[in-house]
Amino acid sequence: MNTHSRSSLVLGVLSVVLVLLSAAFYFELWGRTPARPAIPPVDPAFTNTATVRMSGAELVRTGGDASGLDCYACHDHKKQVVLKYDTEKRIILAEEHNDLVMAHGTHNRNNNCFNCHDDGNLELLQTRDGRELKLLDSTPLCGSCHGPTYRDWEVGVHGRTSGFWDPKAGELTRQACVSCHDPHSPKFPQQKPAPAPHSLRTSRGPTEEKGKGH
Amino acid sequence: MNRRSFLRNSAVMASGFAAIAAALSPLRELKDYSSMDEFLQKYYKELTPEEMQKVLKRIENQVEREYGLRPHVRDLRPMDGVEFVYALNLTRCVGCRKCVHACVAENNQSRNPEIQYIRVLKLPHGSLNLEQADHTYAPESVPEKGYFYMPIQCQQCKNPPCVKVCPVNATWQESDGITVIDYNWCIGCRYCAAACPYWARHFNFTKPSIPKEQINPDMAYLGNRPRRQGVMEKCHFCIQRTRAGRMPACLEVCPVGARKFGNILDPNSEVSNIIRKKRVFIQLKEELGTSPRFFYYFDV
Repeated sequence: MNTHSRSSLVLGVLSVVLVLLSAAFYFELWGRTPARPAIPPVDPAFTNTATVRMSGAELVRTGGDASGLDCYACHDHKKQVVLKYDTEKRIILAEEHNDLVMAHGTHNRNNNCFNCHDDGNLELLQTRDGRELKLLDSTPLCGSCHGPTYRDWEVGVHGRTSGFWDPKAGELTRQACVSCHDPHSPKFPQQKPAPAPHSLRTSRGPTEEKGKGH
Repeated sequence: MNRRSFLRNSAVMASGFAAIAAALSPLRELKDYSSMDEFLQKYYKELTPEEMQKVLKRIENQVEREYGLRPHVRDLRPMDGVEFVYALNLTRCVGCRKCVHACVAENNQSRNPEIQYIRVLKLPHGSLNLEQADHTYAPESVPEKGYFYMPIQCQQCKNPPCVKVCPVNATWQESDGITVIDYNWCIGCRYCAAACPYWARHFNFTKPSIPKEQINPDMAYLGNRPRRQGVMEKCHFCIQRTRAGRMPACLEVCPVGARKFGNILDPNSEVSNIIRKKRVFIQLKEELGTSPRFFYYFDV
């Protein structure tokens, strides 16, 4: 066999190998990469910028049903409201107010409606130093007891802000206390967490209880 | 050379070329480089304003072709006298992960595989040992008793290790403190991901998949325009919002107001107040000397 035909043989074998390889690639003989498991779309509730509750002022502003704010639809102007307590000095609410959870402050120490509401005019609020405020303008009332928090809120350190950081570009919106805190039960409510990240490597979803060790 | 060997050799060579061409055929699927303009585009800092306008137009056309809606792509530059700082209140954070998903929606991140700029860690009270952190927690409701939550994202370091290692200068720190990436200049070497101590940089191993109806059309060149496969991406403090004066998306969605953002050079800004008056546990991994512009603090 001379050199010439040997090199032809090598070339021939090489091209057959390349043709076979390309055919193998083309028909994916090694199998397809398995498709990634689908990740369900995230509930739009988790990207919603609304506050956790709707304050009375917000309800009025957005044109919602504000009939619950009209005290004298049920109460009588001339009749003084008398508060009733049980043996453990917990307040007994009238049936009409059953939607309220009375949990402001610990040890039932803040169980008097008229600590905040005005006993003379139910549509007003009163501070301990004698100021009278409209029902929908409660922030200074909260501040009259929660001084440090109010001070933080005034400079934007406590509470939610949105809009523009740059005053030249637009306005900064600061949420009122009652947009996040229920005045009758001010502790921030528990939240449902958004889904955990899905791992790229194992394609596993969020685990219920991950092993503590590594 | 006689006739027979010529024919034989040419047949062999023809089939050889055909085989090579077939083996290289996957390259035809590299549709991202469809336009020669994109392939030959200059470095971000060398583009003249006219060239920039052309580039932005081209990106708008590409996005419209791919996602079926006309975006508004801007090239926003840093403002004078502005240095951005982020402050996060660890006492307030409840670990609801809303920031993570608001960020994904705002910044057109890939939904599958997931790319998320923010990772929320659950840590036991009384420690700051990141090795005890759990990021896959999924209880019925948060916060859980005995734990606190620590969201981590790009810390926009003053001394960024990621910038130092980039071999092509595709990432750099701007004068307002934001470390940005030119997605057209990135070669995908992932050195920066290895250098970052905060796991802030995320790589597009595949083409990002974003549902067409969820594209955010308000885009910036250095910000949230759709990325291609093989480039790095990271939090850029929502450049398309913050350089237009707005608050970042993660801040606006936070239900507890744990996140604060602003200009540290303005003595009356919220963040200036926090850093002056609050108990700021300075910076995460400060012993590394990265000097983050992201401050964690405590409250009562």
